[in-house]
Amino acid sequence: MPRNFRITLAILAVAVLIGLISLRSLHRRIQRLSVAPTSEEQARRELLAASTSAPTDARVQAKIFWAAGPDRIAPVQVAMPLSGEPVKRAKQVLNELITDAPAADQRTLPADAVLLGFYVLPDGTAIADFSDALASETPSGILSEQMAVDSIRLTLENNVTGLSRLKILIHGQEVETLAGHVDLTGFFDLNPPAAPVPTTPTALSTPSGAKQ
Amino acid sequence: MPAAVQSSPQQVQAPSNVPPQQGVPQQAAPAQAAPQPPVHSGPVIVLDPAHGGTDSGARGQSVIEKDMVLLIARTARYALEREGFGVVMTRNDDSNPSYDDRAATANAYRDVIFISFHISSTGTPNTARVYSYQFSETALNANAITANANSLPITPVKTTSLLAWEEAQRPFVGASHHLADSLQADVTLRIPGSPGVSSAVAVRGLRSVAGPAVAIELSNVAVTDPNQLVAMAAPLATAIVHTVIASRGAGGASGNPGAR
Repeated sequence: MPRNFRITLAILAVAVLIGLISLRSLHRRIQRLSVAPTSEEQARRELLAASTSAPTDARVQAKIFWAAGPDRIAPVQVAMPLSGEPVKRAKQVLNELITDAPAADQRTLPADAVLLGFYVLPDGTAIADFSDALASETPSGILSEQMAVDSIRLTLENNVTGLSRLKILIHGQEVETLAGHVDLTGFFDLNPPAAPVPTTPTALSTPSGAKQ
Repeated sequence: MPAAVQSSPQQVQAPSNVPPQQGVPQQAAPAQAAPQPPVHSGPVIVLDPAHGGTDSGARGQSVIEKDMVLLIARTARYALEREGFGVVMTRNDDSNPSYDDRAATANAYRDVIFISFHISSTGTPNTARVYSYQFSETALNANAITANANSLPITPVKTTSLLAWEEAQRPFVGASHHLADSLQADVTLRIPGSPGVSSAVAVRGLRSVAGPAVAIELSNVAVTDPNQLVAMAAPLATAIVHTVIASRGAGGASGNPGAR
């Protein structure tokens, strides 16, 4: 066998060996990336969520309102640690609403939405500031937008006391509509129940806007 | 996809009951003695196909909301005109009037019923929901908010005084709810599976309308065959005609205090 041919074969063998080694490390890196947060907003949400719970929080049954079919929402009992302080408590339940829907089709808020801030004014007005994803990724339509707003409103109403009305901001700004239909320039009334929250599952709710 | 018709979006289609102060000339009677539709002295019906232009609204694989709602609104227009009602479209082409432009079209008339058409992204397919506007009760008097905001009374704005444009719907909320309930009841008979009662939701497009105003949302753009939505246009139009006629017969009023 000519010497040149042997050298070429040796170089090729080394190249294949290096390729196999790199392929394996590349595969490992891809696997690592797939479990990492898929967006900056998710990373930010994890950071914010970590700061909202404290060891002193009491574990209680929270009522979180997710979709229970194509056109209605219903409460789901979730055992979770909740703060006694209204602002922290509101952040905890709203983060739970965004992140832990039992199934993808039960989501009422986009997975990428982030609660950027939550404030309560002395008159009981709650201000919830969400990231752009809430407006840009909520499906357009009266029904879907109302289900999104109702899930926020009812989750607050059933888990946080002392709130009289809700204002929703998008990235710190007042916007005209959520996704083209539901008016966000005004307030949404919150009616804290007088009775303590029951610990057993309750009947499915009607859309809050529906006349009783 | 319906073809775009180039005409003024605020064109009065049948001005038989346009109030004289609008200055719209009456159309000359046709020379031939053709069968005349009944002429109603009732309200002008403003039909509002939502979205338009660069705003497509909800999109499915085979349905674009802005086109479908225009088709459905035109079906309702023909049905209403056959009964002799004056009908105005907020858009009759692929334009996209602002919320205020659409409200201004309706507010040009003293006696008006405003009906906005939408197609949803979600919801039970082949059903229709009717909505009226819901104001926050706590927004009535921000300085008087108490712990229980529901105890605040709603003080209707006197229609003899100036209405705030942003809250022009407020004096008509009751009439709008009544219209929505009546229409939803009729729709449910003709489009099975639709809810039995209407919903009160803060639909932005209704807020500045000074007259009874409802939004109808058909479900949904995800249907594989657009004909499923087209098939709802005729029964929906019939329901609208019956509800408008019934509302006139039941007391005459479109609920519009300005129509006295």
